[in-house]
Amino acid sequence: MAESAVMGSGSLNAGNRSGSSKTSTSPLENYQLARRRTLQVVVSSLLTECGFDSAEKAAVETLTEMMQSYITEVGRSAKANCEHTARSTPTLSDVVITLVEMGFNVDTLPLYAKRSQRMVITAPPVTNAPVVPKALMAGQKRTHPAHIPSHFPEFPDPHTYIKTPTFREPVSDYQIVREKAASQRRDVERALTRFMAKTGETQCLFKDDTSTFPLIAAHPNSIPYLSALLPSELELQMLEETDSSEQDDQTDTENNPSNIMQDDSGGDKENAVLPPGGGVPAGKVNEENMIDNPYLRPVKKPKVRRKK
Amino acid sequence: MNRKKDKGFESPRPYKLTHQVVCINNINFQRKSVIGYVELTIFPTVVNLNRIKLNSKQCRIYRVRVNDLEAPFIYNDPTLEVCHHESKQRNLNYFSSAYTAAVSAVDPDAGNGELSIKVPSELWKQGDEMKVLKVYIEFSLDQPKGGLHFVVPDVEGSMAERAAHVFSFGNQNSTRFWFPCVDSYSELCTWKLEFTVDASMVAVSCGDLVETVYTHDMRKKTYHYMLPIPTAAPNISLAVGPFEILVDPYMHEVTHFCLPQLLPLLKHTMSFLHEIFEFYEEILTCRYPYSCFKTVFVDESYVQLSSYASMSIFSTNLLHSGMIIDQTPLSRRFLAQALAQQFFGCFISRMSWADEWVLKGISGYIYGLYLKKTFGVNEYRHWIREELDRIVEYELKMGGVLLHPTFSGGKEKDNPTPHLHFSIKHPHTLSWEYYKMFQCKAHLVMRLIENRISMEFMLQVFNKLLSLASTASSQKYQSHMWSQMLVSTSGFLKSISNVSGKDIGPLIKQWVDQSGVVKFFGSFAFNRKRNVLELEIRQDYTSSGTQKYVGPIKVTVQELDGSFNHTLQIEENSLKHDIPCHSKSRRNKKKKIPLMNGEEVDMDLSAMDADSPLLWIRIDPDMSILRKVEFEQADFMWQYQLRYERDVVAQEESILALEKFPTPDSRRALTDILEQDQCFYKVRMQGCFCLAKIANSMASTWMGPPAMKSLFTRMFCCKSCPNIVKTNNFINFQSYFLQKTMPVAMALLRDVQNLCPKDVLNFILDLIKYNDNRKNKFSDNYYRAELIDALTNSLTPAISINNEVRTVDNLNADVRLILEEITRFLNMEKLLPSYRNTITVSCLRAIRMLQRNGHIPSDPSLFKSYAQYGHFVDVRIAALEAVVDYTRVERCSDELQWLLDLVQNDPVHYIRHKILSMLAKNPPFTKAAESSLCNEALVDQLWKLMNSGTSHDWRLRCDAVNLYYALFGLTRPSCLPLPELGLVLNLKEKKAVLNPTIKPEPGSGGPEVTANMTFTSTLEEEQHVVIEPALSGVAMAPQGLKRKAETPLGSSPEPGQIMQEEPIVKLSVKGRFPGTQEEEDIDMDTVHDSQAFIYHHLNMLERPSTPGKEPSSVEQAILSMPGTPMPLLSKESLSSKHGDHHHHHHHHHHEHKKKKKKHKHKHKHKHKHESKDRDSHAFSNSPASGRSIRSPSMSD
Repeated sequence: MAESAVMGSGSLNAGNRSGSSKTSTSPLENYQLARRRTLQVVVSSLLTECGFDSAEKAAVETLTEMMQSYITEVGRSAKANCEHTARSTPTLSDVVITLVEMGFNVDTLPLYAKRSQRMVITAPPVTNAPVVPKALMAGQKRTHPAHIPSHFPEFPDPHTYIKTPTFREPVSDYQIVREKAASQRRDVERALTRFMAKTGETQCLFKDDTSTFPLIAAHPNSIPYLSALLPSELELQMLEETDSSEQDDQTDTENNPSNIMQDDSGGDKENAVLPPGGGVPAGKVNEENMIDNPYLRPVKKPKVRRKK
Repeated sequence: MNRKKDKGFESPRPYKLTHQVVCINNINFQRKSVIGYVELTIFPTVVNLNRIKLNSKQCRIYRVRVNDLEAPFIYNDPTLEVCHHESKQRNLNYFSSAYTAAVSAVDPDAGNGELSIKVPSELWKQGDEMKVLKVYIEFSLDQPKGGLHFVVPDVEGSMAERAAHVFSFGNQNSTRFWFPCVDSYSELCTWKLEFTVDASMVAVSCGDLVETVYTHDMRKKTYHYMLPIPTAAPNISLAVGPFEILVDPYMHEVTHFCLPQLLPLLKHTMSFLHEIFEFYEEILTCRYPYSCFKTVFVDESYVQLSSYASMSIFSTNLLHSGMIIDQTPLSRRFLAQALAQQFFGCFISRMSWADEWVLKGISGYIYGLYLKKTFGVNEYRHWIREELDRIVEYELKMGGVLLHPTFSGGKEKDNPTPHLHFSIKHPHTLSWEYYKMFQCKAHLVMRLIENRISMEFMLQVFNKLLSLASTASSQKYQSHMWSQMLVSTSGFLKSISNVSGKDIGPLIKQWVDQSGVVKFFGSFAFNRKRNVLELEIRQDYTSSGTQKYVGPIKVTVQELDGSFNHTLQIEENSLKHDIPCHSKSRRNKKKKIPLMNGEEVDMDLSAMDADSPLLWIRIDPDMSILRKVEFEQADFMWQYQLRYERDVVAQEESILALEKFPTPDSRRALTDILEQDQCFYKVRMQGCFCLAKIANSMASTWMGPPAMKSLFTRMFCCKSCPNIVKTNNFINFQSYFLQKTMPVAMALLRDVQNLCPKDVLNFILDLIKYNDNRKNKFSDNYYRAELIDALTNSLTPAISINNEVRTVDNLNADVRLILEEITRFLNMEKLLPSYRNTITVSCLRAIRMLQRNGHIPSDPSLFKSYAQYGHFVDVRIAALEAVVDYTRVERCSDELQWLLDLVQNDPVHYIRHKILSMLAKNPPFTKAAESSLCNEALVDQLWKLMNSGTSHDWRLRCDAVNLYYALFGLTRPSCLPLPELGLVLNLKEKKAVLNPTIKPEPGSGGPEVTANMTFTSTLEEEQHVVIEPALSGVAMAPQGLKRKAETPLGSSPEPGQIMQEEPIVKLSVKGRFPGTQEEEDIDMDTVHDSQAFIYHHLNMLERPSTPGKEPSSVEQAILSMPGTPMPLLSKESLSSKHGDHHHHHHHHHHEHKKKKKKHKHKHKHKHKHESKDRDSHAFSNSPASGRSIRSPSMSD
């Protein structure tokens, strides 16, 4: 109800000001115009009832507007009352309360309805309720699943929640993909290295030109073998992606020696009692703990008599 | 030397060492110093043992005690300074013989040593009863230049946090550099080793770790090792550092050590070591001889691997992660080699240097068996062929390699290898390259023996050697069994004949006792009438490095009806051999052709000669002769051989041969091989390069796309878009290697203008552009590096107009693209370094190539920055190689000087060695060509380098000799001015005469000439003149004469050495009497000793400051300092106008002096000794630092 009222007011200007353009209006607009016309007829008949012979168009319009507002407000308020009591459809009492709240004496209503000079107006022309615009129909409107009572609000329009494929058809041409990936990587690398070169020390191949082929200066490293031997973070990351299980295994066993180093003789006995674990890594740990390797033995305390 | 005797081993020493204690109780990383003591338990084997000679270099010795009695000692090392500065001799002949003599003079295998200890007379009595003597020596090392290497990274934190470590190293027997010992492979004893290190460090050494005990302050701990298996001192090692410890999961007695943070790599690298153990133990049917095994990975290692008793020290750069393909087989090979040497080399030692080949041969041979098992027969045969080619190439170029040199009298005349510029009498005089070839030949000869007696017998022999040794090792010394642990050539041969019953004498004579390889030329004709193959095999045995072969040779003939082996006898005069053919029919109709391995294949026979049934012929297919074969057969035969012969060696030979036949048929045959994935990948890789060569020869008629391009596209590019390479997937190693190689080979293609085709360059650039490794489980660093190498290969010389200066603007468009890639790669490497920085290495090479081809300005500064200490070693080597090349091309003396400075000062020994060997390989000039670089200063610098500057590293000294040889040849460098007429001092007549004997090129003269005591003046040489008025030449005369016969020797003492002054007097008078029982004096064995000793006093070499004991004031007065020319010229001085001085004055003077001061000295020193003993470290250099100070420490 509220929507239609807004719609109505929205179309008010357009509809009346430019009557000539009616032909081009949409079915929705037609529907609203028809409603409004009925209201105008009502207003006009009420005026006639009150004894007016004629009225200015503007006055009729204003009254129509007021009427519409009033009815809209009654509707909106009734719905609010109804929802307040956790219902979805307004009942008579909702309307009554609304009217009371709006300062209307409800008792006078039956009398007014039964007044003698009441004019009967013809029913508004049958206009079909406007079909919901197709554009909004995205996917199947979902009905409530079984566990939701039917009185609950319906699902909103599907377009509000379903995934809407907005991208274009993906570029599936392998060549272009590779091309893009390659040039992207190259651009990134180039930009990055140029940036590094710009911000740091450089070496050059041409004495006169330091900018065309800037080389990041070579700096000696105090422990050069580390960076040269250990895989870079990027490589490690890739390795994780390609084969995560292997990596896990590695980190797993990595911790073992240090564990062993820490727990000394006591740990041995404990582990010896333990049955050999089912899993391979567990078994390994066990084994290693039982190893009698001189380098894993604890360092002895000096004997007092030991003298150099 | 006396190894020829069959009855066991006779020690050259008058005593037998049974046990040695080495205790190092302080290792200071900050100062790089070491303090410790050794105690040797010896059994005299002669009555009245009065003198003990030990080896020691570089160590500063504080005191020596024999059975708790202070013992006087003399320290004398003639190898420190080989020739003395008075000598104007600058020819290598002279140096080499002098150097050999110097090494002999301290050779433990001849019973000599640098350190001569006098047994206190109180103990002589004991000697009668053959009682045990305990020789206790306190010593220290300060900033050792050899023997021990300290790596102390310059970062924040404690030494452990800085990953500081120290390890022992050396070429052959070099243990004397870090503790006094009998540094011989034939003197075995049991060991007790103690090392006290910081609590955060681990000390790894030989034998079993008995216990680790904290010191009282709990800040240090002592590692106690026991080595109950008799072991030679050169097989003792030590590594100390904050190592991470990994107990081998398969073998708990095996422990691995690596530097901090590398544990994951260590785990991966070591994950298969147990397989090698199992393999060796199985084939040798013998347990690993030691009760434990340790591997230590250290930085800045001297060599990639070095084996010691129950431990091996490796370069840390062998460690790798699972993502690395190329390094994996290499590292495994090194591990396998190290383990093989544990059995033969460490556990079983050698009797003498002449027996080295047996050890190297056996360890190399069983390592080969391991290769065969692990990497397959193809790989093994390929490797054998490679090794054979290497040794053949080396011997043909440099002259023969002699495995078992015999020296009858030790006279120079008997030099068995006169073609070499060094002596092969000692391991320490050998050029490094020669030694590598020696090892290569040794294992090849072992394989020949195997061919003769079968592998089964071979392994039985090894087993016998090992079981004898292990029985002996468990015996007490008294049983005299220990010599069973030493292998000798004769013992080994005897074993072979006992086990196999075969006589391999001729084989040994040919390959072991004689040097050289065989060079065959083969050709054939087919006699259709007789249906006989007439094979002609000629030999070249006259050129250097060759020898004549007489004996059987196998020839394999592939005919239509099958493959047939024929054994021909190569005899003195028969060149032609008729081989009857089996195939009667001219052409088999559609029959399959049986191959050697039983396979039957269809062949397209249209290419072959219709009249002949011969498909191909191979001479000595099993490589059972050390030979080079140049065989002539038609191109189609080579093609058949390539396609159908299943032996990889045959395939490789045919590929080589096909280079000479650039025809479409060859092209087809090669292409087919490239495509065949059943073919051994290394053959295919080699095929790529051959195809490139053929394509270049056919450039004008070549049809279709560039060679290999469509092949590569088909194999490695996407189906849908053939210009884009597939994303990397290296799971199939064969195709990985092929994928790596093909672009490199393609880049060698040249069009008719001799330029790399545009197509090819773009193709390679595309490969780089589209390279995508994201989905790959392996690293692509080697692949990318090879793509850069491909770019490098595509370079051709720039067309330069009027030698214009190269600028960015006139850069060739293609070169610009290449440079763009290289810049990007090199810069990316700074952000994401690749494994072993392979990409930087390739980029540096590429940049040098760009410079050399004139595309960009030639400039060494970039390389010099990459060559700095602190870059990864591979990068440094690549950069240095570029500088070396620059030096040669631009003839730049600054760069040469810079390189030579690095040789002297670089902290990494391997780098020093590499610089010299690269310079020798790519010399800035040679003897033949004139060069501005060749000048007197350089000659003197190099001379000084090899004469004294490299005394701490045998290998480096030999490298310097090699370089000198490469630059100047054997004779006096031509750039030297004619020597001024020198003065000859006639000592007897006490007058100097102008020497008429000096000739500008005393090439033939060698030491003989110098023996005339000619002294000429040189401006360059620093003169240190010590003159005292009371000179008398008379005493010296016999000395001088003697010197004529022997080679002049002498040395300057190393820093930290302590010299004994006394003995000269007697010596000079009495000469050499080893057994003399002079009361107070220690006499010396040989003239070498004495002369060398005398020369100590004359030695004027510049040396780094030398901490040592305070010299006596007298001495200080006597000795003049280097760099401080203060000629104390006396009136009697014979110095020339240049201010140099005759040496004999020194002699005389010293002699004289000593005689007079002898007693005085004694007392003085005794006091000093006692008071300063404890804190001798602090005895810093005398103000006169710059020469070592010798302090007599006789204190009895």
